[in-house]
Amino acid sequence: MDQLLTKTENISFMAALVAYLVTAAAYFFYAVAKKEWARKAAYGLMCLAFGLQTVSIVVRGFHAGRLPLTNQYEFANAFAWGIALCFLIFVRKYKFDVLGTFIAPVIFLIIGYASMQSREIHELMPALQSSWLGFHVSMAIIGYGAFGVAFGVALAFLIRDTFPGSLAGIPNNETLDRIIYRAVALGFLFLTLCMVTGAIWAKKAWGTYWNWDPKETWSLITWLIYAIFLHLRLRKGMTGRKAAIFAVAGFLCVIFTYVGVNTLIAGLHSYK
Amino acid sequence: MHDTEMQQDRTGIVRKILRFLSGMPFSFALLVIILAACAAGSIIPQGKTLSYYFDAYGATKGGLLIGLKLNDVFHSAWFLLLAGLLCLNLILCSISRFGKVLAAFRKTKHFGLWGSWLTHLGLLLLIVSFAAGQFLAKEEVVYGIAGSTQPLGRTGLMLTIDSFNVSLRDDYTVEQYTAGLTVTDKEGRTVSGEASVNHPLDAFGYSFYQDSMGWASWVDIFKDGQLVKTDLICAGEYTGPDELPALALFFNKFYPDFGLDENGYFTSKTPLPNNPYCLYGIYYEGSLISMNITEPGAPIDVHGYSFVMRDPTEYTLIVARTDPAAPAAAASAAILIAGLVLAFYVRPWEEKRRKENGSAADKD
Repeated sequence: MDQLLTKTENISFMAALVAYLVTAAAYFFYAVAKKEWARKAAYGLMCLAFGLQTVSIVVRGFHAGRLPLTNQYEFANAFAWGIALCFLIFVRKYKFDVLGTFIAPVIFLIIGYASMQSREIHELMPALQSSWLGFHVSMAIIGYGAFGVAFGVALAFLIRDTFPGSLAGIPNNETLDRIIYRAVALGFLFLTLCMVTGAIWAKKAWGTYWNWDPKETWSLITWLIYAIFLHLRLRKGMTGRKAAIFAVAGFLCVIFTYVGVNTLIAGLHSYK
Repeated sequence: MHDTEMQQDRTGIVRKILRFLSGMPFSFALLVIILAACAAGSIIPQGKTLSYYFDAYGATKGGLLIGLKLNDVFHSAWFLLLAGLLCLNLILCSISRFGKVLAAFRKTKHFGLWGSWLTHLGLLLLIVSFAAGQFLAKEEVVYGIAGSTQPLGRTGLMLTIDSFNVSLRDDYTVEQYTAGLTVTDKEGRTVSGEASVNHPLDAFGYSFYQDSMGWASWVDIFKDGQLVKTDLICAGEYTGPDELPALALFFNKFYPDFGLDENGYFTSKTPLPNNPYCLYGIYYEGSLISMNITEPGAPIDVHGYSFVMRDPTEYTLIVARTDPAAPAAAASAAILIAGLVLAFYVRPWEEKRRKENGSAADKD
């Protein structure tokens, strides 16, 4: 049974990895060729990749007997899944398929990073044995996923802004700007929930809800960057190129908070 | 007349200052500086010894870091000042916007209008609660082996460690650390229960956390074959004969299942005490005169004394904490989240509903 589950997880994960790569290529082709069949194919491939990844996550969770959200591999996989989920929601809502040209490679890179991590299933250390783990990490996945979508849209905006005439077929700047805002607002809400649930969990586990641990601090930095973004947008009317640059910078901070802090700075979250 | 002009000037200056302090440029400047300070505080190791910074960064940079308190950013006066200014900014901003928001709400009945205001209020209260917690929170740390009883700092409580158990899985990874505790107050009332990781024991306003563990060893000290002292020391502690304080045994490390790794270094093959050895050092007048490993029960002879380390046992470290401001922080976070939901999601719904109602009214 164990072998079957491992095999199923590995096959679905690797298939998802390949599917995301093909999806990225398909979206690129669609962006260049602007063929309707290419759009449909790319969207179908994205759904397939997302489905396969979902299978790999569910099977792993079943195999491990817990939520698969505790180590670098599991979180990277879930992180990529969260971006894919937000992408599919935003594409459905805004009919903005070219966004896949920018999002699919990001998802592929993150799932590629996951593929380089150990996939061995370990039992949880005592600190991670908490029902708050699921709430805390789920909030992070949705939040990071939304920021990932904002990043992709911002890239699309910046490329078209820099090279007018390129990326024909994508929504006008106002719509792009609104999508960036909506994605950042969603991400900001979930990042806040992530930090609050993390604080409640920290209080349960360590007795203090804020320890200035590097991961906490970088989450706060990310939160501050997006808070500045939202202030500038809502109160000062910042839109367009500046907003797009902010969204890109914010997501780079998200990536650092996830990868950089875990690997470069030792702290309470550096679970090996 | 002259006095009135001066008073008007003063009022004008105060207004300008208040406008500046509650203004957006001031908020942005503060947020950016706080952001930079946080980045510095996460990259530069915090709370190390001063010599660490001189060794790691050199005399000039190390001195500069220490001078600017970048070695303890989050407790430095300038960081606290920044947090205080942010609070002031949030207070002034909340006060100045309250009237406008209330007026707009009275006119439109849009609850979403409160979103931004509540978000700011939640953040303000959160910072204040956190700051209050820094002053009001109390923490006491005790460690001991099962069966030991000791006072809990200045709380007036006594803590008995009834039991301590490390449950291991088949692969020797730790499943859980569990301490059985009894807390007794001044009146003799007791609360008993278990504290494990993620499951603190609550008693007499304190939460008792199972924090960490280690190994301790009993040490018998003999002089001319006579037992002169028995002591219990944890790894990292010293003991020595009272008659000769210059002589001390340092319990460096415990290897429950002693062996050598592939590089020939001491290691413990398992966490079980199958082949226990203690690494110790003997100090005389502050200098290390010998260092070795010993089996429990084997004598270590030095300067006419004989040290016998025996009965190694696990000790647990329990942290008792209370933070009266924590519920306020939780409520503040709830306000903050409610504010965000109202700001981002209720307002558009209301606008949509208003538009729909408007169109329905038009049709009517």
